[in-house]
Amino acid sequence: MEPALIFDLVLLLILIGLAWLLLASTDLFRAVVLFIAFGLLLALAWVRLGAPDVALAEAAIGAGITGALLLVGLGRLGSTERCRFSRAPLTFLQRLSAPVLVGVMIPSISLILLLEVHQLAGTTPGRQGLINAFLDVSGSGHGVTAVLLNFRAWDTLLEKGVLLLALITIWSLDQARPLFHQEDISPQLMGLARLLLPLVIVVAGFVLWQGDQAPGGAFQSGALLSAGILLAILVGYSLPQRWQGLSLRLLLAIGFGVFLLIAAATLLYSGYPLQYPEHLAGSLILLIELVATASIAALLAAAVVGGHPPDDLSTPAAKAPSTSGRR
Amino acid sequence: MIELYISLALILLLTIAIGLVRVLRGPTATDRMLAAQLFGTTAVAILLLLGQAGGNTAIWDVALIFALLAAVAAVTFVRRKDIDTTTET
Repeated sequence: MEPALIFDLVLLLILIGLAWLLLASTDLFRAVVLFIAFGLLLALAWVRLGAPDVALAEAAIGAGITGALLLVGLGRLGSTERCRFSRAPLTFLQRLSAPVLVGVMIPSISLILLLEVHQLAGTTPGRQGLINAFLDVSGSGHGVTAVLLNFRAWDTLLEKGVLLLALITIWSLDQARPLFHQEDISPQLMGLARLLLPLVIVVAGFVLWQGDQAPGGAFQSGALLSAGILLAILVGYSLPQRWQGLSLRLLLAIGFGVFLLIAAATLLYSGYPLQYPEHLAGSLILLIELVATASIAALLAAAVVGGHPPDDLSTPAAKAPSTSGRR
Repeated sequence: MIELYISLALILLLTIAIGLVRVLRGPTATDRMLAAQLFGTTAVAILLLLGQAGGNTAIWDVALIFALLAAVAAVTFVRRKDIDTTTET
């Protein structure tokens, strides 16, 4: 057998095994660590599938934000809720439910997949040719960016809206509380952050810029920046009080807002929303990507912090982006 | 050469599979977290090998991001307020 095929098979087996273990784990901390490992291997799987754009996003999200988000969430749960899985003996029906569920699910999913694969064999190899034919007029040199921000820009616009909605929901639930000890920050940690933060910002800029020609773009760059913001919060930086009001909300909403304005402007200009004039397409895509990166970074970091900024001015709180001034 | 790179990547992948035992068995939270950290380093190596095999530089960017962000989860782990890192979980 070819090594590549064995590699793919082993990767697949580990992924399925990991998914099973992390879902079945009664120890929530173990489940979190397994999920971090799952994210790593999933990025490898995307690479093997020839989708480096998705792998970049998975790497930035999985390594940067998800692990931290789950660890913070686990800390919030408190020790009583963490051990809520009782060891009481199961009833007969409870014992029966898992095998029945698995026994029904796996054959049906396999059947659906088999039917899908059977259909795939007769179709064309995707839309690569069509996209490449129209790449010249899209305003972007990279197929995925052209699809995301021109051909199917609607989907991306709504995705920005979903992110904003998610944060509005989080903010409506609770007020942000300090996540970490602010007093005992070791010099090594401070040194690490001072070395890493500029690097993260530079690489985020690089990933954003190369989205025009190669895998990369706003979401990957924004996720990377949000990990940088998170690191800054971890070593004790916080957003100054005067930035936590309108300016923070503007930063969170600007990505969606500018995108929506462009949709409205193109609707008036050409009769179709998000149908860019050909000579402006490149500049518009760049503008959308720039503001979207800032918003995505702020949105993801604010989601980890969890909760709206405190209204009471006397309580100091660790609040999201300390990097807004630097951006 | 491509076969060699993929075979080396496969060996590294198998070491991750073996390392999972430490995550599963623990016994302390720190053991589990450090095993996951080690997976991050291994994943960087695998990605570099895959990039070399496929000749696709975008894969190296993925490795770069993993290398940059490897510390974030670990720093979050040691800076959390309320989890005792020494006792068994």
